[in-house]
Amino acid sequence: MERFITKENLIRLAEELTATCRVLAPVASCGTVTFRRFLPGMVLDMHSRMAAVSPKAATFPQTETLLTVKREIPEKKPEITETLPEGKNVVIGCRPCGARGKLIFNPVYETDKTKDPYYIQRRDNTVFISLACDRPETTCFCHSVGSGPADPQGSDVLLTLVGEGYVARSVTPAGEEVMKSALFADAGDKGKEADAKNVRARELMGEAHDYASAPAKLLARFDDMDFWQAQSAKCISCGACTYMCPTCYCFNITDDDLGLESRRIRSWDNCMSHTFTLEGSGHNPRPTKAHRLKNRVGHKFSYYPDLHKGVIACCGCGRCIKQCPAGVDIRQIVNAAQEYSE
Amino acid sequence: MSQLDDLKNAIKSRLGELECVIGWEQGYDPLHATPLFIRTEADLDRLIIGPLAVHNLATYLPGFKGKKIGVVVKGCDSKSVIQLLNENLINRDDVVVFGLCCDGVVSQRKIRAALPADPGFVESVEVGAQDLKISVAGQSATLKLSDVLADKCLICATPDAIISDVLIGAAHTPAPAASLACQDEFEAKSDAEKLAFWQETMSRCIRCYACRNACPMCVCRDHCIATSRDPLWISQDNSPAENMMFQMVHVSHLAGRCTECGECERACPVDIPLMLLRRFMNKQVKDVFELQAGTALEQTPPLLTFKVEEERINERGW
Amino acid sequence: MPAQDVRELRIVGFLCNWCSYGGADTAGVSRFTQPTDLRVIRVPCSGRIDPLFIVRSLMNGADGVLVSGCHPRDCHYAEGNFYARRRLEMLKRFLPITGIDARRFEYTWVSASEGQRWQHVVTEFTRRIHELGPAPTFNPASEADWNTLAVQAGQGQTCPCHG
Repeated sequence: MERFITKENLIRLAEELTATCRVLAPVASCGTVTFRRFLPGMVLDMHSRMAAVSPKAATFPQTETLLTVKREIPEKKPEITETLPEGKNVVIGCRPCGARGKLIFNPVYETDKTKDPYYIQRRDNTVFISLACDRPETTCFCHSVGSGPADPQGSDVLLTLVGEGYVARSVTPAGEEVMKSALFADAGDKGKEADAKNVRARELMGEAHDYASAPAKLLARFDDMDFWQAQSAKCISCGACTYMCPTCYCFNITDDDLGLESRRIRSWDNCMSHTFTLEGSGHNPRPTKAHRLKNRVGHKFSYYPDLHKGVIACCGCGRCIKQCPAGVDIRQIVNAAQEYSE
Repeated sequence: MSQLDDLKNAIKSRLGELECVIGWEQGYDPLHATPLFIRTEADLDRLIIGPLAVHNLATYLPGFKGKKIGVVVKGCDSKSVIQLLNENLINRDDVVVFGLCCDGVVSQRKIRAALPADPGFVESVEVGAQDLKISVAGQSATLKLSDVLADKCLICATPDAIISDVLIGAAHTPAPAASLACQDEFEAKSDAEKLAFWQETMSRCIRCYACRNACPMCVCRDHCIATSRDPLWISQDNSPAENMMFQMVHVSHLAGRCTECGECERACPVDIPLMLLRRFMNKQVKDVFELQAGTALEQTPPLLTFKVEEERINERGW
Repeated sequence: MPAQDVRELRIVGFLCNWCSYGGADTAGVSRFTQPTDLRVIRVPCSGRIDPLFIVRSLMNGADGVLVSGCHPRDCHYAEGNFYARRRLEMLKRFLPITGIDARRFEYTWVSASEGQRWQHVVTEFTRRIHELGPAPTFNPASEADWNTLAVQAGQGQTCPCHG
């Protein structure tokens, strides 16, 4: 289905949806653009640039309560309440790379053997209305990892900016439902302009880099700690890259106790942190940042593709590069492994 | 001979005896530099300096303890080197300091605000003596350096490295502003306004610890109490209270040690104005102990010592 | 003297074992009455107190925090309270920038024989906290509060606060 919606009407749509759903949209506040819970009265900022944080919080929030435990008195059996997510979510104005994170999560969070009810509930009740990109940033490389500036995979509706509004194309039945709103109008022949824009955006990205040899080449560097020490020299081992990434999916489960009540929470974990693999005995199989960077890059471009039919666990959004305080560039690292010769 | 050539020659003459020299090179796009670890003369060719070289390289020094290395520092960075020396976190004999006389560095946020399109679309940058000629998303803009200098440069009293084995560049007579308008305005707000500000700002925080890891004085890194499970200081919960608790931990541990290099604020991926807290804490340290971290060698950090009679602490007569 | 308010507020006290805890004991033995809002945590020395104890208490919802130790120059361990004096003074001066009312934290020195002084300190501090009222929680109290804050902040990219 192809329709057209003006910029004002998109904001009106967002405002209308807040009545029945949690709406996540890029909001500008205090000098930056992040995905926030959108409320009427906020300034939506879809165009100045890609949001600093990815929209992954819609399906995988940074902190979520898995269950709560209450004890009336110590002798009585504690009351355990599972807290599954409820309600519907809509993400408006993310980029195709942001919506694509789902594709990396799905083979891990929904398998034949295990199904994560928290993630699945959210994923099945979240609609992604993505905005195709007009031009790439210097850190964009979605075209090299199987995606592109107008990639519909992962989105439910794909918008392309044409004039003072957007050509909207549905990708899934859920997307079609949203597009039935009266705020959408006939697209006329604007579809052609949208196509031209999408093609132009892809052209501006230039040639894609071929990562086909990356899995094997990275594995070949596995024991080469000199290589990883050189690559990780400027890394400060923080976690900005992991938390910004739309495809990073590791989590931690901890219990918060307060008197007679307890809350089990799941929170984002970060493989660049020292405590990620710290064992109870004090032993740490990844004691240095070189080990940890090797794991992060290896996981995304080698181990995950080997386990999941060659899909690279990266959407090419480039947030890890531009948000890194030291400018570590994952493209350079993988490239260095691919071009490594003794 | 330019300042860069002088620097390269100075480094070349010492490179042989050093594990490496830490400097900067061109980063992932024309507007960004990135740290460079120089081990060979080929590496040395890639060295750059200038207003884009924002990183405080002193933060890497404690990691090299036991090895002999060199580091290129601007005025603000040299204060971090001094503070690290004062706390015995590095040995003077193991560090060769190549000091620069700095003209200031840019704030990427100010550049973003001044350009007609997002700097992510930058195509080319020409760094002049007084300005930056930037081409971005097919449009051109010339930005005056004085308009996009980082806040810390506006109040900088030490643009020339105050500790160095070699000092390179033309000396400056600093004329810093007395204080920053943004700091004064914020301090003048009421408690309720400030609380609301931090409540909202801390809801953006994702607790990535980029601020902590970028800080040259934060050396506990892997063993930081913020991420310890036993004792548990801060919950994994990403609520504003827990996020603010981390800032309280960080600033408390920096009291009397923070050299105001601003790396924490620069590193923050969601633009939280962390320096508001640290500049304020430093004002209190200056008021009570008449000390500024990193300004002189052989200075014991004030909270690591005491005086029996404290001139500027009211003994709380009740 | 009863508490000013029927409702008791949550005031946490960190008392050093030798002087202040002894002083509180003396006050009790002498039957000096004082408000019961204050809940005491005994530490060996005021120098044991990490300023973060106070911060954590306030962030966890304490309405007030009182620290009391030996008088400087009289520390049971000779130097502990000299360090405490510096650390706690810095904390007291730092609180205003965070929006937390610095009057909710106080540190003082009470010796083991100063029962009457202890009564005065507790009564005064409790009165002050009651005047200030319950402390605002750092996490916004309700969804509505939260939404108001969020809308106010989500007004665009101008931020005068930093560069």
